[in-house]
Amino acid sequence: MKEPVIEIKGMKNYLGGQWVHSDVNLTVEKGEILAIIGGSGSGKTTILRSLLMLLKPTAGVVKVFGEDLSDLDSQQAFQLRRRWGMLFQHSALFSAMNVLENIMFPMHEFTNLEPEFMQELALLKLALVGLPKEAASKFPSELSGGMQRRAAAARAIAMDPELLFLDEPTTGLDPRGARLFDKLIVFLRDSLNLTIVMVSHDIESLKNTTDRVAFVGDGKILSVEPIKKLMKNKNPLIVDYFSGH
Amino acid sequence: MNQNGAQINFIEDEAKYRCQGDWTVLALGNLSAKFRGAWLPSSEKLVIDGKEIKKFDSAGALALVTCVDELKEKNNQVELHNFSEKQNELIDLIESKKEAITYKIPAPEKKNILYQIGKESENKLIQADGLIILIGDLCVKFFEAFGNWRRFQIPSIISNIFSTGIQALPIVALLSFLIGVVLAYQMGLQLATYGANIFIAYLSGMAIFREFAPLITAIIVAGRTSSAFTAQIGSMKINEEVDALLTMGLSPTELLVLPKVLGLLIVFPLLIFWSDIFSILGAMIMAKNMLGIGFDDFLQHLRDSVGLSQMMLGIYKAPVFAILIALVGCFQGFRVQSSADSVGSQTTKSVVQALFLIIIADAIFSIIYSWMKL
Repeated sequence: MKEPVIEIKGMKNYLGGQWVHSDVNLTVEKGEILAIIGGSGSGKTTILRSLLMLLKPTAGVVKVFGEDLSDLDSQQAFQLRRRWGMLFQHSALFSAMNVLENIMFPMHEFTNLEPEFMQELALLKLALVGLPKEAASKFPSELSGGMQRRAAAARAIAMDPELLFLDEPTTGLDPRGARLFDKLIVFLRDSLNLTIVMVSHDIESLKNTTDRVAFVGDGKILSVEPIKKLMKNKNPLIVDYFSGH
Repeated sequence: MNQNGAQINFIEDEAKYRCQGDWTVLALGNLSAKFRGAWLPSSEKLVIDGKEIKKFDSAGALALVTCVDELKEKNNQVELHNFSEKQNELIDLIESKKEAITYKIPAPEKKNILYQIGKESENKLIQADGLIILIGDLCVKFFEAFGNWRRFQIPSIISNIFSTGIQALPIVALLSFLIGVVLAYQMGLQLATYGANIFIAYLSGMAIFREFAPLITAIIVAGRTSSAFTAQIGSMKINEEVDALLTMGLSPTELLVLPKVLGLLIVFPLLIFWSDIFSILGAMIMAKNMLGIGFDDFLQHLRDSVGLSQMMLGIYKAPVFAILIALVGCFQGFRVQSSADSVGSQTTKSVVQALFLIIIADAIFSIIYSWMKL
């Protein structure tokens, strides 16, 4: 039987004096691109943070790669963290390193590859995310927002993760850059066999990339279905969310 | 060796390379270096068999492509067998990006020493220019504020007095007390041999009022306040808060620098006085224990031989130190560029420069006092 990559059952989160999630259930299959959407403050990022072990859920079971996150020892947690990559909303590139060093950083830390091979591998990732090779020796502050996002994506896939998290990947990019980034997301999934979970508000991007979309509202996942079907959903919260389109 | 490590072995009778294990970034190790170092056949028809590869990712594919290239360089014909469709796709993908992978990063240009000296001098001049502009701006804002009292930012001054003054009281007291104890102990050793015990009050009083109290206060304030100013303004700059003030037509100098300078100006003399009290207390306790001089005798002697005038000479240094510390802290804060590294390096610079300037200023005070025969 094929095991889902992510399985959340009955997750509850109590943060800052209120219940953010009352009952979240979600499964993500291998190889799919799933987006989590919902109004501001509905707790999308909190779901992402729970999955990344940055936040311990108040109750419920969260399984990633079939392993329950709540009873991992530090060694197992360490092993698990190497199997995913995360692209932060504001890129979070290390400003003291150039792009190539940023990409090579996790390789340096975790592997004993020889330096030339590591550099070739980093340049490969750079090419995969569609950055010109001259960008390799530039520092993050010398790149435009879109290029920073791509460089951050290259760092996120540096260790060939099986699972990639994206937090609002196209926010703040111009429309053309955003569409190119959509293509990149699908390309990465197809070429590297990734499973991708993203948080996004960009309807166009959701239409272009996702297989299924999970709608968060009222502390629950209200619906998980392809975006076209979701937009026709009659739930008042969902209708409200899409009312501008 | 790791059982799942990637391996590639030559089977000579079948003219075949057999790949085994996980060909992933974590398990790859120095496979391609080993392969390059090993003996390679030439001008043969070779097969690379991928049947026993367990896991295969882009790093593995890159390693495989590197191996194939090595073999092709020796005029071998290479065929890949038993690779799955996905694996072949990955290999083709690597092949298509080959031009980018073999890119040699140009080494950064080496500048000659004359250029570096010139560049560094230019930087220092620009820095000095910036500081002068800040001082000028500050003076203008200060005198303009007399026209409208609200522009003095009284609440902000008060909060600065609290954070730079009130919160520094315990540490200033403790360090001053210890300095007083140490000072009296060292002097007491010498004085006791001459039987001039009572002079402890005069000697320690002079040293504490004129030098030690102002200096120790300045060092503590430079360490905790100048760095705090730099970090605060620096992170505001990174967060574009400084730009936000500018676009609203407000002056960062008036809102951020002026209250800090004024707050520190008010609180610094008080801190020196506070330090005077505790240093003298330390010296007094030591004098009683070591030299048997009572508190009454000590204080009376202190008043008669040292007096208020010497204490004021120390407190006169306060405004200079306060302005130096606040200005250096704020100035370095404005010089922060948009990176986390920059906040750290500017904070270091602000503390080092503040200490440097304080000691220079203290030396100048000594010269002036000796000219004036004080």
